[in-house]
Amino acid sequence: MDEAEDDLEPLFDYSRVQPQGIMCLDDDDELDSSPIPTVADRKRTADQTDKKKEKDCKVVDVVQVNQKKDEDEEDWLPPPPRKIPNSGSGFIEDKTLQELRLQKQELESFAQSAEVVLREVLESAKRNMHHGEKTVVVLDAEQPSKPQVERPKIVISIQDRKGKKQYKIYMDDKFERLFKMYAEKSKLNMEGLVFSFDGEKISPQATPKNLGMEDGDMIEVNAKAH
Amino acid sequence: MSGGIARGRLAEERKAWRKNHPHGFVARPETLPDGTVNLMVWNCTIPGKQGTDWEGGHFPLTLLFSEDYPSKPPKCKFPQGFFHPNVYPSGTVCLSILNEDSGWRPAITVKQILIGIQDLLDQPNPADPAQTDGYHLFIQDPPEYKKRVRQQAKQYPPLL
Repeated sequence: MDEAEDDLEPLFDYSRVQPQGIMCLDDDDELDSSPIPTVADRKRTADQTDKKKEKDCKVVDVVQVNQKKDEDEEDWLPPPPRKIPNSGSGFIEDKTLQELRLQKQELESFAQSAEVVLREVLESAKRNMHHGEKTVVVLDAEQPSKPQVERPKIVISIQDRKGKKQYKIYMDDKFERLFKMYAEKSKLNMEGLVFSFDGEKISPQATPKNLGMEDGDMIEVNAKAH
Repeated sequence: MSGGIARGRLAEERKAWRKNHPHGFVARPETLPDGTVNLMVWNCTIPGKQGTDWEGGHFPLTLLFSEDYPSKPPKCKFPQGFFHPNVYPSGTVCLSILNEDSGWRPAITVKQILIGIQDLLDQPNPADPAQTDGYHLFIQDPPEYKKRVRQQAKQYPPLL
């Protein structure tokens, strides 16, 4: 047993360098089998293998506990390096997230600016159409034509006393157009109708966007009270 | 956590309402002065049924939800002094489906509450009076009762 303890001690020194508990046990087992085959063989021949293993393990445990008690500082020192790489990777993830957010914001601002450009271009195009100056406008108008396709649409239903019908309109389109369409379809005078959302009258100049409307929202139409 | 349940359910109710609701009704959570929405208090309008003495009236009703909703029903209030046999002087509506101990079930929707109250307007329950004025006239002087109901409907014209 003395020999075994002597042999085991350097192993525990090794375990101090790599303080992971599971690793220590594995290392001990491997090293037990390799450098002390003679001791192990003798014991195995003399006694049952199970008992010896148990004894060895017990000894190992005791020694480890003692060493830990003696060298708490050394045992506790290693963990921080592990945390640092972890937290470092966390920071890296945060950075990538931040970068993604920044990119998203940039794209959004780009989309917005593209819309603005589109409007400007359309307006200038209208003006230029009258003046007959088309060449410059056409070139500019080709690029921002994509945002026009992405102009968000929502489905809004209009409910009257008879029932409700659904209409698809642009988020930034004035309700005026929808109201006219409804009045024409129902063969009513638009002036005699009141459209309301959440109990409030909808101005023909308002848009679904500035009323905070969502896809599927329902507006009501009533005949104007006299 | 129960507050989370109440708010979650109310958010769903609001979502469903925005997409579809009976014509002439309004039901929306109150907006506080700072612009935030308070899902626990809803400002509603109940239209008087056509073909009844209540027709033409758009009666304001406030739904006050507690953190225990939908285990417990909301308190439903008309304006103070509202004329109806089953409305307390405070304006609180007395209706079986709004009573925690009798008709309330957590599955009852805001839409069903409002339709239930609209039905109650023209079909008061004399077995369960909540105010003397409305109850006595309803029992003892139907013509005067009718007159008072029509008067009240004119007091609450459509807001638009």
